[in-house]
Amino acid sequence: MKKIFVHFWMMALMAVCAIGNANAQQPHVYINPGHGGYDSDDRNMVIYPFSVGDSAGSWESKSNLRKGLALEEILKKKGYKTSISRRTNTTNDDLALSTIVALCNQSGADVFYSIHSNATGTSAVNNFPMVFYRGYTGSPQIANADVLAADLEPYLYANTSTVWTHNYQIWGDWSFRPEWGTQGYGVLRGNRAVANLSEGSFHDYIPEAYRLLSPYYCWMEGWNISLGADKYFDRLDNFGQGVVTGNVRDDRIKRLQENPQPFIVYGDDGLMPIHNATVRLLDQDGNEVQRCQTDTLRNGIYLFKYVEPGTYTVEVSEPSHFSQSETVTVSANAPTYQNFYLKRVRDTPPVVVDYSPVWHEGDPAVKCSEQIVLSFNWDMDSVTTCDAFTLDPPVEGTFRWEDSYYRLVFTPVDAFDVNTLYTLTLKRSAEHGGGTPMQEDFVMQFYTQPRNHLGGVNVFPYEGAPVHFKSPVVELRVDSLLDTYNLFQKLRVLDSEGNELAWNKRGIKYNKRGDDYGFVRLPLVRDFEVGKDYRLILDMDIADTAGIHLPAALDINFTAVDAGADKPGMQVVEGFEKKEYYLNCGHAGSATQCPSAQLSFVNDRLFGNASMQLDYDFKTYDPNYYFFLSYNPDWGLEDDQWEKPFYPGQTLGLHVCGDMSYTKMTAEFRTNGDWVKIPICTVDFHGWRYVEVDLSSLPESGGKLRHIFFERISNVMGQTGTIKLDNLLRGKASGLDEVRLANMEVRHNGDYIVVSADTWVQGVELIDMNGRTVKVAGGNCLNVADVARGVYLVRVHINGRSVTHKVKL
Amino acid sequence: MKKRLSFMMLLALAAWLSPVLAQEVEVTSLSRLLEGVEGPAYYPVLNSAGDRLLFSTENGALKLYDFTDNVTTTVTRDFVAGNDACFGGDGKVYFVTQQSAENHLVYRTGQCYDVASRAVTRLTESHHGTVKAVATTRGGMVKALGKADRDMTSSGSGAWTEDSHVHVIVDGKERVFSPVDSWAGYLWASLSPDGQRVAFFAAGKGIVVIDLRGQVVAMLGNYEMPCWYDNDYLVAQHATDDGHQFTSSQIMLLKADGTWQAQLNSPESMAMHPTCGGGKIVYTTIDGLLYEMHINIYR
Repeated sequence: MKKIFVHFWMMALMAVCAIGNANAQQPHVYINPGHGGYDSDDRNMVIYPFSVGDSAGSWESKSNLRKGLALEEILKKKGYKTSISRRTNTTNDDLALSTIVALCNQSGADVFYSIHSNATGTSAVNNFPMVFYRGYTGSPQIANADVLAADLEPYLYANTSTVWTHNYQIWGDWSFRPEWGTQGYGVLRGNRAVANLSEGSFHDYIPEAYRLLSPYYCWMEGWNISLGADKYFDRLDNFGQGVVTGNVRDDRIKRLQENPQPFIVYGDDGLMPIHNATVRLLDQDGNEVQRCQTDTLRNGIYLFKYVEPGTYTVEVSEPSHFSQSETVTVSANAPTYQNFYLKRVRDTPPVVVDYSPVWHEGDPAVKCSEQIVLSFNWDMDSVTTCDAFTLDPPVEGTFRWEDSYYRLVFTPVDAFDVNTLYTLTLKRSAEHGGGTPMQEDFVMQFYTQPRNHLGGVNVFPYEGAPVHFKSPVVELRVDSLLDTYNLFQKLRVLDSEGNELAWNKRGIKYNKRGDDYGFVRLPLVRDFEVGKDYRLILDMDIADTAGIHLPAALDINFTAVDAGADKPGMQVVEGFEKKEYYLNCGHAGSATQCPSAQLSFVNDRLFGNASMQLDYDFKTYDPNYYFFLSYNPDWGLEDDQWEKPFYPGQTLGLHVCGDMSYTKMTAEFRTNGDWVKIPICTVDFHGWRYVEVDLSSLPESGGKLRHIFFERISNVMGQTGTIKLDNLLRGKASGLDEVRLANMEVRHNGDYIVVSADTWVQGVELIDMNGRTVKVAGGNCLNVADVARGVYLVRVHINGRSVTHKVKL
Repeated sequence: MKKRLSFMMLLALAAWLSPVLAQEVEVTSLSRLLEGVEGPAYYPVLNSAGDRLLFSTENGALKLYDFTDNVTTTVTRDFVAGNDACFGGDGKVYFVTQQSAENHLVYRTGQCYDVASRAVTRLTESHHGTVKAVATTRGGMVKALGKADRDMTSSGSGAWTEDSHVHVIVDGKERVFSPVDSWAGYLWASLSPDGQRVAFFAAGKGIVVIDLRGQVVAMLGNYEMPCWYDNDYLVAQHATDDGHQFTSSQIMLLKADGTWQAQLNSPESMAMHPTCGGGKIVYTTIDGLLYEMHINIYR
């Protein structure tokens, strides 16, 4: 009896030791399903049919919890010890980051997984797995955290039920978020376990948001994380069952996009997930091993858990599609992915059920911009249907399918010809998606209107235009009112490196009903850089309210200049700063209605304290009307005292701030008993511009500038507007106007300022913000190593001209 | 009648707000500690006299700062030792180090640092699993696999948490309480200076104060890391986050009976991990700046 008793205790002791030994080798995983509680720190993706805040919808906390609970279940089954930071999705369970870390540390876990999904937070749409550990990339704060991440990511990325846009990424959080310093992610901070934060996929990729609604899909992420843990702890051979999962989609019907806005889809995510498909797992004898059903949440995901290794058949059936089956091989502790693309059952031949434009003899003509739309009773085969489509006379155009191949839209590349009868024939060879052709041809006709493109197109900047760098404005004018919807997106200004410059959207002016012509005027947010080249691109689909578009896209090159730059050899003869002038109106014949104009002095200037502003209103179009700028006799000066003498061989220079009114400006000189008019410019620009006038047509004795005339030359544009004038110059031609500054570029590295250009750089000056020259060098290189750090101006002398750049040393 | 009711409601609201709004605590001094001497410092722990401070460096080394001679010494460079170290009642420093084995299991070792001799003594063998340093009035101890490295009857009094239990030893006799439901777990237990109450944090519930029989005395709100400022007040961290990073963090002063609380700095101060001792409060910030704060309570 005593022996038996001793034996019993020895057995018990051995059992306890065995358990203790097992525990000593049992990996302990702490699981943190990220976020929680449907609170402000949660992430709600609003996807149809759910509304904002609906807890039945897509929440990161919900999918994270499903993944976390799945991981806990799987790891326990695999013999791990687990701890988890929450089991429900309530505010109380949404623990603070410090608390989660402290709970993990207290648990004595070996590894820690914080489970999340990602969002770009921008308009960019991506989908790929990422994992983070604390520290710099390649240099984790806790040893092996990078190994844990590297063991996990391939398993997440191997999931073919989703569509990845990029390969997986592994980051140290200090490298990924350098702006946070070494703050890093809160659940990694102070965490003593080998810790990862896994962003399994991107929930702002809408098809992924639907997948994350599937408990099956979330479970698979838990499974894949468990494989990462198995690999890390060298336990891949310790578990004997596998899983089979995949996606069931229609083979060609496109997915519904009932979100408030159509959303971006990649690859097979463009195909419709099939709801309520029955998926069966059959063994080699045809016996059903497991059965599941896809849900109605637009993801098509099915899953068979814990399947014994072997060969199986996966059979998918759904009443509106032909059934399909595939043979799969299941391995122990490994996923088997098998996607299905089901063919729809279509049981009648295709016919055109609706079309446009509908036109009959005697009906009004159809717009030349019209699209041709054919609607069918079935989803159509793209190739046979487009091949069956003919227009007489032929028109080059593009086909677009809508409503998942139920609707075909033909858009002419340009526009239909004017005053033309077109005949469309869709031959009966057009087939639906199941391969059955139409039973007879479909024929329709329409007759087009006499206008097919926008006319009267005027653009600033135009090709080669010199554009003053400050407060630049772009304007397009056409002969009819523009359709303003998203119009600003169809005009783009690019810098010389191809970067698009932003519009100041609040400052955009559009045409409105009642205007005489169509226009859009777009200010840019930032100034141009002097000397740099730019491009203005206008899309061809800029259209009027009737859908009539531009005849072609426009690609316009122009250069930024400083209209106020030095003009060597030119002398200021008038600053336009004093109220010694007045505006008057005139008429070449008998005036019945005088244009009105006002003169003022304003702060928008290039030189001195003010520029002179002329606000005018021609009231009506009459080519005989004009107004003119002249000296105000009230100031009591004799003509000789204020008239500015000019001689042939000299140049008249004038700074003009334009309004794209196409107003004609002319200088009038008093000569020996006669008057000579010399054109200055046509105001076809916005912003400041320096214009020079050749005075060779003056008589030898010269002439005295008496008037500047302003004449309206367009019967549509330029009725009202504002033109400003600043310094009037006299001298030999400076050559600055409308000349590019030789591709000049200013670079600096803190020690040197280096100027490069296509031509010889004469010198470089460094000027402080008080206007004092700090340092000067001949040539293109200026040593600034000994100059105090700060913001300076660099004046570059090049080809007898100078230009100024701002630099921060 | 309606007017009278509104007036009564206003009075009640004012009465409710008054403890929060009243200027009943004043921060009398706030100064940077070890500025220009040490890099980022985290997890500060003061001893009960407030003349010594433990903290962890960016790389996890555990350091000891002596206020009296203004000298900082390195206790250990073992990574993560600085996280959750504590002073025992004997003045020694109790801490845990960890190593990752080839099989990637993490093994932890309890250690003790004698401040006087600067000697480190290993208290436990390497254990896979939880190893915890616990401060007690007559010293300290290391708990590994649920067992202490020493006979607890000689430990005096102390408190610690395991899972959803708070363990309290009074004169060597251990009691285990679970006074509030918190399946995720309890954390940060400490005995009041007079040894009559225990404060701890229950996940999902906040700070709980119990007596030595395990009866709940007060629930202080959803703050973290409580430490006793004196027998009547505690200091704690109040942090918010967006699920990834901290969005605010500040230090709160809480009356131990739950009747009053005050903010000691603004939510934007990003102040964390408060510790108290000898009438001073030390905390760190999100970027590892240590501050010493002194307060006056006018209640």
